[in-house]
Amino acid sequence: MVAPEQPLRVGDVMSRPVFTVSPTDTAQSVARLMKETGVGAVPVEAPGVGTILGIVTDRDILSSVVARGLSSSTAVFEFMTVSAQSCEEGDSILLAAQKMHDLRIRRLVVVDEKRQAAGIVSLADITRASPELGGLVLEGLNRPAAVSAQPEGMSQCHA
Amino acid sequence: MSCLTQDRLWSEAVILEAPKRVLRVQSTRDACLCLKNHWPLADGPAKRSALAACDRVIDGQDEPDAARTAFIKAAEEAKFHVHSWTGE
Repeated sequence: MVAPEQPLRVGDVMSRPVFTVSPTDTAQSVARLMKETGVGAVPVEAPGVGTILGIVTDRDILSSVVARGLSSSTAVFEFMTVSAQSCEEGDSILLAAQKMHDLRIRRLVVVDEKRQAAGIVSLADITRASPELGGLVLEGLNRPAAVSAQPEGMSQCHA
Repeated sequence: MSCLTQDRLWSEAVILEAPKRVLRVQSTRDACLCLKNHWPLADGPAKRSALAACDRVIDGQDEPDAARTAFIKAAEEAKFHVHSWTGE
């Protein structure tokens, strides 16, 4: 008798380790970390507490700092996306993909029971595990945005 | 270098100026990355000492300002113009 196949969990496909930054880090220090680690998104955590406050992507640095002519010393809290969307390691990848589809986002921060970052699950991680679910997320990303929707389903913290 | 998943913040930022460059550094991990990837000197005693200090701090064997002090000395060795609130 064949055992029923277990659904893949976020913890099975997410990227580890996770590199975090603090809200007072600067655009240039985040860029240096991204260059060294090869990651394009880092969660922002409260120093000493570890609670996730938001997320910063390489695109944020380009569009919110470089393109606007701000200094590379601009602090992360001035351009991060606050209240990053998250999921848990035990969630199914179907649930994570559905959330990414609905919110039109490419990645979710994976948090543990203390709401601290345990990893990041991205569209690429989902697609590697299940091309069909990756297609579902892409379909969400490609659909026209609702007029009142915030980019990436989050609220932006402006300088 | 120590694990990049760890960092220890400094009490004050250090700003290094060179022609056409300004580096602002305020944490041990970032100092380590500057020394490793963005430094004008390939080697030097103060640079080696600063990298070792950063490793000790990230491992929890020393206080963050020990890395900051060593970093300022490495910056002076590399002929940066150093701006810091508490630096010499």
